Amino acid sequence: MVMEKVHRMSNKGGAAHTRKPRITVFHCFTALEDTASLEGGDYEIQGIKMPCSSISREVFLLRAFEAGADAVVVLVCPVNSCRYVQGNIRTEKRVTRVKKILDEIGIGGHRLNMFNIVQGDEAAARRIIEQTVAELGEWGLSAAA
Amino acid sequence: MIVGEQKPLEEIKAKVSGYSRILILGCGTCVKTCFAGGEDEVATLASALRLSFKLEGRTIQIEEQTVERQCEDEFIKEAATNIAEVKAVVSLACGAGVQMVASRFPQVTLLPGVNTTFIGILEKAGLFTEKCLGCGNCIVDLFGGICPIGRCAKRLFHGPCGGSSKGKCEVNPDTDCAWQLIVDHAAATGQLDKLAEYVPPKDWRTSQAGGPRKVHREDHEI
Ligand code: SF4
Ligand code: SF4
Repeated sequence: MVMEKVHRMSNKGGAAHTRKPRITVFHCFTALEDTASLEGGDYEIQGIKMPCSSISREVFLLRAFEAGADAVVVLVCPVNSCRYVQGNIRTEKRVTRVKKILDEIGIGGHRLNMFNIVQGDEAAARRIIEQTVAELGEWGLSAAA
Repeated sequence: MIVGEQKPLEEIKAKVSGYSRILILGCGTCVKTCFAGGEDEVATLASALRLSFKLEGRTIQIEEQTVERQCEDEFIKEAATNIAEVKAVVSLACGAGVQMVASRFPQVTLLPGVNTTFIGILEKAGLFTEKCLGCGNCIVDLFGGICPIGRCAKRLFHGPCGGSSKGKCEVNPDTDCAWQLIVDHAAATGQLDKLAEYVPPKDWRTSQAGGPRKVHREDHEI
């Protein structure tokens, strides 16, 4: 039933957006220096730079949706490459929990995703944003934005 | 510590849906430690509720506050200003905290947001386990520091039941058999003979079976 609700609220079947999609990118500054290199497309990027991705507590991820994000992307270093050893592991657990909350609410956990990228791999970060934008084309904008 | 779990979002949402403005009141002691009702949980719940109502086209004003301990008047007084502004408070404290707030602020509807579960410990990161039932007369020394009241499903005092298997309890195979632990401890410390001693039936009047209990400390009364 929850998934039906998620589907109803978020899947607009590829209808054209009425505004540019907004993506909030949480990233540790080891994985990605800043989000300037991701800008320039037909979307809005809000970058949240952190010394370690584990600072992205559950409420920060939810508040990004409250603040108008259609999708939230969390960029962390690869497993075993975290400068603070377990930061990215903790982040993954929080992201998993918030995905469940988003499913329960009806926004849909698919709008929040974590990706491991190698330090400074801006091309990978850009591909992730492009992929998210393409997916937003299918899902539609967030009804909570 | 007292260990609890936050109620499902759906249940809390149903309880607050009749209100336009609520306070979510957290507690910074036990329930914070077990991730059920501290500052972070208050903020996460508030945000989840706001988003959920927004999707339904509704706005609900949610105040957030966490006091050091909800089971002490000294601390809940600090919530008076916020409570005066709302008709309902979701308390993320244990049942003691919820009732303390309810008795001090009878004008508001108190909605419990946590299921108070047990007295226990943090066994390892992310795992809390029950250890004590608060029987009012601790006899854990007779069992090598392993309580058969809090940790044996059948509260046995004279050895394991027939269901103890491979060190696990038949009632819940995920749980260690308390009596296996007691015997192992006694064997390891050369005290097996101690377990042969007769333990008289427990006087349960000191437990909750004797009705709600009080601890009165005249030396701390003013
Ligand atoms: S004997 Fe009673 S007080 Fe002691 S740990 Fe067991 S239940 Fe708690
Ligand atoms: S298996 Fe062990 S812990 Fe479980 S009820 Fe029997 S004696 Fe108690």
